Amino acid sequence: MNLLKRIVAVLAILSAVLISSGPSFADTDTTQSVIIRWYGLINGLVRHTPTYSPPVAARAFGYLGVMSYEAVASGSDHLQTLAGQLNGLKPLPKREAGKEYNNDVVLNAAMAAFTPVFFENTGPSGQNAMGALATEMTAKVSTGVAPDVVERSTAYGKAIADAIIAWSKNDGGAVIKNMGFTENYKIKVGPQYWVPTNQQALQQHPLLPNWGNNRTFAIPKISACVLSAPLPYSEDKSSAFYKEAYEVYDVGIHLTPDQKAIATFWSDDPLLTLTPAGHGMSIALQILERDNVDLEKTVDVLARLGVAQADAMIGAWHAKYLYSLLRPVTYIQRHIDKKWDAYLITPPFPDYLSGHSVQSGSLDVVMTKEFGDNFAFVDKTGEADNLPARSFSSFDAAAHEAAISRLYGGIHYRSAIERGVLYGKCIGEYTNALKTRR
Amino acid sequence: MFKTCLIVSLLAFGTSAMAQGNVIIPHFANETETSGLNSVYKGDWQYMVGGGVAAFDCNGGGFPDLFFAGGENNARLFINKSKRGGELKFEEAKDTGLEFDHVTGAYPIDIDGDGIMDLVVLRVGENKIMRGDGHCHFTEMNKQWNIDGGDAWHTSFSATWEKGNNLPTLAFGTYIDRKFENDPWGHCTDNFMLRPADDQKTYGPQIALTPSYCSLSMLFTDWNRSGTPSLRVSNDREYYVGGQEQMWHVDAGQAPKLYTEDEGWKYVRLWGMGIASADINNSGFPSYFLSSMADQRMQLLSDGSDKPTYHEAQYAMGTSAQRPYAGGDLRSSTGWHTQFEDVNNDGLYDLFIAKGNVDRMPDFASKDPNNLLLQKPDGNFMESGEKAGILSYRNHRGALLVDLNLDGKLDLVTVARRENVEVWRNVSTDLGHFLEVKLAEEGGNRNAIGAWIEVKEANGKLMSRENFIGGGHVSGKAGFLHMGLGAQTATQVRVTWPDGTKGEWQDVKADGFYLLEKGKAPKAWQASD
Repeated sequence: MNLLKRIVAVLAILSAVLISSGPSFADTDTTQSVIIRWYGLINGLVRHTPTYSPPVAARAFGYLGVMSYEAVASGSDHLQTLAGQLNGLKPLPKREAGKEYNNDVVLNAAMAAFTPVFFENTGPSGQNAMGALATEMTAKVSTGVAPDVVERSTAYGKAIADAIIAWSKNDGGAVIKNMGFTENYKIKVGPQYWVPTNQQALQQHPLLPNWGNNRTFAIPKISACVLSAPLPYSEDKSSAFYKEAYEVYDVGIHLTPDQKAIATFWSDDPLLTLTPAGHGMSIALQILERDNVDLEKTVDVLARLGVAQADAMIGAWHAKYLYSLLRPVTYIQRHIDKKWDAYLITPPFPDYLSGHSVQSGSLDVVMTKEFGDNFAFVDKTGEADNLPARSFSSFDAAAHEAAISRLYGGIHYRSAIERGVLYGKCIGEYTNALKTRR
Repeated sequence: MFKTCLIVSLLAFGTSAMAQGNVIIPHFANETETSGLNSVYKGDWQYMVGGGVAAFDCNGGGFPDLFFAGGENNARLFINKSKRGGELKFEEAKDTGLEFDHVTGAYPIDIDGDGIMDLVVLRVGENKIMRGDGHCHFTEMNKQWNIDGGDAWHTSFSATWEKGNNLPTLAFGTYIDRKFENDPWGHCTDNFMLRPADDQKTYGPQIALTPSYCSLSMLFTDWNRSGTPSLRVSNDREYYVGGQEQMWHVDAGQAPKLYTEDEGWKYVRLWGMGIASADINNSGFPSYFLSSMADQRMQLLSDGSDKPTYHEAQYAMGTSAQRPYAGGDLRSSTGWHTQFEDVNNDGLYDLFIAKGNVDRMPDFASKDPNNLLLQKPDGNFMESGEKAGILSYRNHRGALLVDLNLDGKLDLVTVARRENVEVWRNVSTDLGHFLEVKLAEEGGNRNAIGAWIEVKEANGKLMSRENFIGGGHVSGKAGFLHMGLGAQTATQVRVTWPDGTKGEWQDVKADGFYLLEKGKAPKAWQASD
């Protein structure tokens, strides 16, 4: 299934949600299409904008979720603003008391202002797509709305977007140079440390080594969650470290078809997929459809998941460059089998912790809090890449499968995976502590 | 409005090549202004890729004439008026039948085996299959040969003669579905093949190469020397979803079938824009160079001819060409046409890569000079574009290294988006010796496409090259095949013909042009000025 079909599928999912969710969901059907169309476009932009590596994508989904939430919350009697709760987020522009606003116009104006800023570096096709969607949706949402309401709502939506953009500017992640590969970063020297793992000149420098210093969203400081050190490095065959590396090797040379399918399903490679954070958003969107969730809960879930995943990626990157642990492929080729290669492409940054595992742990706690334990769902995210849907009995099960997929893929040791999930859960709990309902 | 913008080389050049270490650096003189060439590849979204050039002899004069894609401008054909070894001179041909707009690129090919070169013209819209008359006039043959030219954004081409056929099998690559300009991702249209009909005079219907992933280069290549070429396709990940680089089994009488992971094909995903192929390491098998954005990829065969498994070696070999080497723009590069040739006649394949930003891509260099990577004796490569005098910051697309004045030294012609084409003459005087050969055999495949030529080099190794149509970036050439001989003043050459027949080793003198006809002795050829 190609991307358009996938986007259409997501849109259809959301359409079903919005249409069937009763009067509290939206002002009109157009509100649905504003969210659906812009999220659909952003999914495409994440896949096709050169700087959108997993941390960068997670950051964008974080701000996008908060912006959408605040655009709706400002006109809601039930939702509580996140200003004052998220780090650095000051009170946002308010709607003028007693004046009429149109949520469709507000949301569209916000999305239309937000997207070109976050994807200003996308190529000509992305630029065309953003301009065309803004033109189309602006005409659509304005039809039949009094001119003064359109004007007021447009200004308000843009004001919300401007405030979110301004908030984002000084978080440390707004400027990505050299596609994220930092040339002046001094790679640590020693047998236990990460070294480049491929033949790409760009990737002889590690990806985003300073990302762990970025301002977090919900967790006060990334050090609020305890981070344990990796296993002591050793080349002794009886050591725990060697055994973990050998496990990656052994699993890799005996991969079952199901293990390959799992590794591929959760691969979520940058510039080719939605990335891990986008995959998480896709899971949320599918569930929102299945359960006909209303608009307020929809933006609540998208905001909190976005925030948790963005924090998770900051946490994972903090760990990666704190320890700079070498990847399994390096260790295995040095000490076990020179010809061995990982099933997946080894990402161009250190091993510990597994970013996908941390992200999955954060998703687990946020979604479980919202939807409960043993919440079964089917994930069709992979259909865009001709990957069959996978079924899960709970978010915890999905998170653990996503995490262990990195071992099957040969790109992480077990401890980076298992500790990553726990670390992500800790980070996610800070998002769960946010108050979104009055 | 058409606007010329010619750049005169301001470099004070001598005619001597320079030696750096053990590598002779050739020198090129920019002769665009005096060449008479004047063509601009113009257009917006639908012309952000493409912009090819074809080099072939359209009038039997022996010298390569040049056909340029024009995008929204009409394509142009220029007759080569150069003298052997002299300055490059061209004169535009009129009323050639090739004055189409919407042309993205072209490949010369003698489709009907009449000994006169025809031209496959790739277009946004319907491709045109143009039959040459030997006097630089062309007639569209789509209807007569029952060729379905399609209606797509055509961006790549390759051809092969499958066993038993008089006509070639034609493969066309396509790009984004034009209906989706505002939502292009995941909207790659199908590539397709055309096979000869049973009458061997016309063609059958399109055979879709599904799935297709926005191909910008394709090449029939005998990767394992089995005698049956496969179709490599390089795809642009900017627009596909779920895609990857591809290679198709194309076995006579069988439906094309993708090589699989189980067969050893490893998935690779890049902004695939061009394919270069040559036996760069004297292994007897082709290596492949894939141009892309950021890192270019060098793929070497890993496990012999049993499995199509390739490993990357661009960083180790010095062919990453990831960012500009001159001009101060440190952002990543964008590679397009790419081609292996021996530009300094030392018996080692060198590598050219045309460079240029797609269009306002802010993460990629806007000043992005073409690369000329010279192979060193140790097998690695060194950048020499600036020293060789080919520095240009135009927005390049298609290109060709081709001996335009038949002096045994490869010249360079490039196409740039929205700017005039450029041409450089190789004016070096102390390069190694050379050999140029043209193949011929009876039957439909007159130019022996699919043959392999081997030449004995001074170092005891064999320089081999495949005679193919396709690859690069919408740019192709026909005519003499060039090989450097280093210090050798004579050597031996052998041809393995498309049917697998292995010819005898035959003596040839250096610095000569030869016609190699199957079953006959080499025949020296002399250009008539």
